[in-house]
Amino acid sequence: MNIIALFVSPLIALIAGMFFLGLSRKISARIQWRYGPPIYQPVIDVIRSFSQKSITHGKFFDFGIILSLSSSFVLILFLPIGKLCALTSGGLIAFLYLMLMGPFGIALSGAAAANPNSSIGISRKFLLALAYEVPLLLVLLTVMTHYHTISLVEIVNIQANSGWAFGSWALILPGIAYLLILPAILGMRPFEVVGAAQEISSGPIAEFGGKHLAFYTLQHALHVFVGIALFVDIFLGGWTFFGLLNPLAGTVWAVIFGIIIFLLKMTLVLFIGLFVNAVYPRFRIEQAMQYLWKWPTLISFVGLIIVVLTK
Amino acid sequence: MDRNQIGKWLKNPGKMANKYSFHVVYFCTGCGIIEVPPSITTRWDAERFGIIPVATPRQANLFLITGYVSTKTLAAIIRTYEQMPEPKYTVAFGSCPINGGMYYDSYNTITSLDKYIPVDGYIAGCMPRPEAIFIGVTHLWKLIDMDKADGYKRYREDYVHYRANQEQILGELDWPPLFSKENL
Amino acid sequence: MINELKQKLLANFNDVQVNIPEDNRMTVNTKKESLLSLVSYLKNMGYNHFAMLSCVDWIDDKEFELIYIISAYPQDDEHYQDKEKKNILLKTRISRVKAKFITIISIFENAEPYEREIHEMFGIHFEGHPRLTPLMLERDYKIPPFRKDFDTNKYVENTFGKVPSIKERKEGKK
Repeated sequence: MNIIALFVSPLIALIAGMFFLGLSRKISARIQWRYGPPIYQPVIDVIRSFSQKSITHGKFFDFGIILSLSSSFVLILFLPIGKLCALTSGGLIAFLYLMLMGPFGIALSGAAAANPNSSIGISRKFLLALAYEVPLLLVLLTVMTHYHTISLVEIVNIQANSGWAFGSWALILPGIAYLLILPAILGMRPFEVVGAAQEISSGPIAEFGGKHLAFYTLQHALHVFVGIALFVDIFLGGWTFFGLLNPLAGTVWAVIFGIIIFLLKMTLVLFIGLFVNAVYPRFRIEQAMQYLWKWPTLISFVGLIIVVLTK
Repeated sequence: MDRNQIGKWLKNPGKMANKYSFHVVYFCTGCGIIEVPPSITTRWDAERFGIIPVATPRQANLFLITGYVSTKTLAAIIRTYEQMPEPKYTVAFGSCPINGGMYYDSYNTITSLDKYIPVDGYIAGCMPRPEAIFIGVTHLWKLIDMDKADGYKRYREDYVHYRANQEQILGELDWPPLFSKENL
Repeated sequence: MINELKQKLLANFNDVQVNIPEDNRMTVNTKKESLLSLVSYLKNMGYNHFAMLSCVDWIDDKEFELIYIISAYPQDDEHYQDKEKKNILLKTRISRVKAKFITIISIFENAEPYEREIHEMFGIHFEGHPRLTPLMLERDYKIPPFRKDFDTNKYVENTFGKVPSIKERKEGKK
């Protein structure tokens, strides 16, 4: 089972991530009253990028993007996709460490490119990471305190028995806080400060072309997948859906339908992000930091206090 | 997706992907750029053909030059063109890059662009409507299908001559040659 | 208001001709010697916006005409309207041969780029200007390109027209 998960889960994450990228472009287009590109357009873009000649700016330029992509693949292994989870040990602690490796790799590449726009983009990327890591840590701490475990699989299993975390009164505040920082994790508006195309020529990826750009698109797809999947796993109960899969328990069909339910939940969360993305303009970086350190932090802190006091 | 094209996709995925995913550098040299915002936004929606604007030439494969080219801009155009990864296509938009247009007797505007960089297609008019961009793109698809959009190959082959023409107008260029004799 | 200024100018300066072609616009023709004092006088009168410096090449008279556009905004009026803006066009003529004039940077600092542009396009040397380096043009022109005796057609033919197409250059080499 674990061996299969080792190969299947990155594949699912990649396909679903590319699908989400295409879906987000299509939905944004429909919101703006456009027809929009076909849903498989990101795949075409990736094939095109692979077919182009790429220009390298030194060893670190190549190494950084590969580090970023491979750490994203490793990150997927720690993530329960439905009932599929390759590495059950480690849990949320390892997850948090690995989540920073993706931005770090891209920063390494961007710094090696020595483009001033990349440098601004990198500094913004780390500032934004610093801004959303504080509420994210508080949220995860609350969840871990409430369930007395650091294992993501166990968190999902407990929710299968006792109902979704987002529905329970103790964890609704951290859930709201995570929803508030979700656009920052995904790099969507209003927190699109990092890859601001009009402002700093798409930031850290300003010098990426050809294969580097293709790797970046894949990494971005995985990053989007991880950001949403973490929310679904922690707050929306992963594969569970009001006991729908109970008759199938123990069979292969339970795993397959679990993945499908999981992906449907992710699509729902993505839609919320897309609607916010479509209507809001961009924050400046210091506005983004002020916002992230004020409201989500406050809400998640209150949630943590409530959970600690009631336990 | 058209089912007849699946064979083509399997045979040459790079070429087909280049056709249906134009990432464009819009080089705003003149009045032509005013036709581009309607064509990429709601009214004409170029994104349904996979055409989106990108911020840097490194990510692009289509170079759209909209308007007259002064000698100072010519240097920027050449540098932008040389930074784009191959395969890359150039389309000159409006009559000014073709033969100078209404600036045919200007003291500071070059008359024909294809003496300095290879141009794969022209969209004539002053100004062309946004529909003309789409017609131009569909023609470029045909050219790519027939392997006739070979501007980047010509640039590689005749780089010495292009460089000589550039130096005749701009004087000593302050960047090294893109293709030296070793990597030709 | 603008008629009062006309009276004051005629009283204070000898060699000025003042016209008021329409409301809020006044043209003042003057000799080149008294231009500097006229500019500083107008600045003290509240005309403190130097809008533009322009130049006309009167090739038959062998003279350049420099036009300083100076305007004033009613300061006490909260609801400012554009038609209330007062423009003064100061016109003076200088010789076309070895054209040179005095800079007005000491009075209006923002005249610097305009004077650089006029120097570049018409070849007028402004004495006292800190840097008369090229502003926009990169090419070398024997005659500055905005002068009337600059033949653009001939120039284009000789420079851009002389560039061969790639095909011609290939054949020429072989």
